[in-house]
Amino acid sequence: MASAPKPVPVPDERSAGYWEAASRGVLALPRCARCSHLTLPAGAWCPHCGSTDPAWTTREIDGAATVRSWTVVRDSFLPGFADDVPYVIVDVELDAEPGLRLLGRLTDGADAPLHLGDRVTVAFDRLDDEFAVPAFTLTGEAVAR
Amino acid sequence: MTYARNQVAIAGYAQSPIVRHADRTLGAIAVDTARAAIADAGLSVGEVDGFTTGSLLPSSGGQAIVDGVSIVSAAWMAEALGVNPRFCSGFVGYGQIPGSVSLAVNAIASGAADTVVVHRALHNPPKGRYHGNPMTKAPGTAQWMAPMGYWGPLSMIAIPTMEYMQRYGATREDLAEVAVEARANGAQIPWSYWHGKPLSKDDYMAARVLSDPICMYDCDIPVDGVAAFVFTTAERAKDLQHNPVYVQGFGMGSPTRARLPQHWPLEDIVDTGAQTAARLWESSGLSVRDVDVPQLYDGFSPLVWWWLESLGYCEHGEAHRFVTDGGIRRAEGGLPALSSGGAIGNGRMHGVPQMLEVYLQLARRAGERQLASANVGLACHSSPHYGGAVLYSAHEL
Repeated sequence: MASAPKPVPVPDERSAGYWEAASRGVLALPRCARCSHLTLPAGAWCPHCGSTDPAWTTREIDGAATVRSWTVVRDSFLPGFADDVPYVIVDVELDAEPGLRLLGRLTDGADAPLHLGDRVTVAFDRLDDEFAVPAFTLTGEAVAR
Repeated sequence: MTYARNQVAIAGYAQSPIVRHADRTLGAIAVDTARAAIADAGLSVGEVDGFTTGSLLPSSGGQAIVDGVSIVSAAWMAEALGVNPRFCSGFVGYGQIPGSVSLAVNAIASGAADTVVVHRALHNPPKGRYHGNPMTKAPGTAQWMAPMGYWGPLSMIAIPTMEYMQRYGATREDLAEVAVEARANGAQIPWSYWHGKPLSKDDYMAARVLSDPICMYDCDIPVDGVAAFVFTTAERAKDLQHNPVYVQGFGMGSPTRARLPQHWPLEDIVDTGAQTAARLWESSGLSVRDVDVPQLYDGFSPLVWWWLESLGYCEHGEAHRFVTDGGIRRAEGGLPALSSGGAIGNGRMHGVPQMLEVYLQLARRAGERQLASANVGLACHSSPHYGGAVLYSAHEL
């Protein structure tokens, strides 16, 4: 039996640029026009400088990041993932904005050796013709833990 | 700064049976429980002039929320009891128990109400899986989780637990000690869903892991159940039939770093947990050494580690060793931190088991479980960084 479709994002005014870039295989994050810091998700104010008029633009970044934690999902609670379990969700800190964390699937599989401090780069999982979501792949390098 | 110490007390309580699925509507159970609590305090319904609760249904299943059926709000309760209250307010946020207790205490201390019923009604939806969600589109906050396959509180708690284990060398065997202790105590609690059903360490280790390292026994089981507590002025409580249990302070917190929804990095728990504890001691004038009935929150087992560390029972990174060495093993003289059975040993009653145990112990109504020394109790709920805790005393301090 073919797996059910996965939930697709419903872009809104502040997330449309992120999802449009992801669909092209590019990681691009909201950038505050006042302080130049990146954040995700973009809200009504900038969490870095507090501006309520952040005039968000979308900035493409290279997707290099460091593993801060992870879990192996064995029961997803969502449609469309039955054939994927077990899969690893990694919690990563992006080089492009220290402190900013993303969550995404690890493409290396559930049995790949994984440690805090392992280096990853962004990859993308395609959901359908319109949407792809960021995922991460181990580079084989690590930072000091 | 002035805090409302010694001014407000719990005068009575009631709790419904804790069952998987009740055969009556949650609202009906809630009304019966509130009436029983008011009677337990020796009061009449007409003497209650305030209501508050945190009415959250803590499910990721996307169920329709119906007041009186899947939740019971303060306003619904007041109307069902036929009361037009002076004070009626719901707490919105994490830590529904300390949140609503703080509303009640401040309402009474300020004179906005004299007698406030604080209730908590928890519902287990009869159909579908508690956190299972059939969504095909992910709008709003869900867009940052569901399309990536990150969903619900199991993965949310698994992420900081994995970091803790990797960083400090903790293992599932260490986590088992929390769940086994909760269930050992819960097995002796007559009203617990798990009454008579302790959990062996072997059964824990053999359990299905849902989101590494979290297995099914690290989670409290969803139930239907209601508890209600009657708060009034200390002066009034002294004239009523049970020993008053005084509120001495509370601490709550929430992290300020911007995060993706339901992303709980360990550093947020540690940093904000320290602030929560500092507020607790500041508001009460007490310290952790004064607490003889600590009741730590265990809706997920690793939360007990983080409460132990946040409150200062051990250093950061040491709680798993503290627990495994018997630090909370009641039968061996450890802290009675889970003497109530907690959420894991009772069912998903949120912070009710902790609050109830503190009340019963300090009012000297704990029966066979009564501790000889029960003067200051601490009732925690939720996580140290998003929830809170309330300090109670058996005497005016």
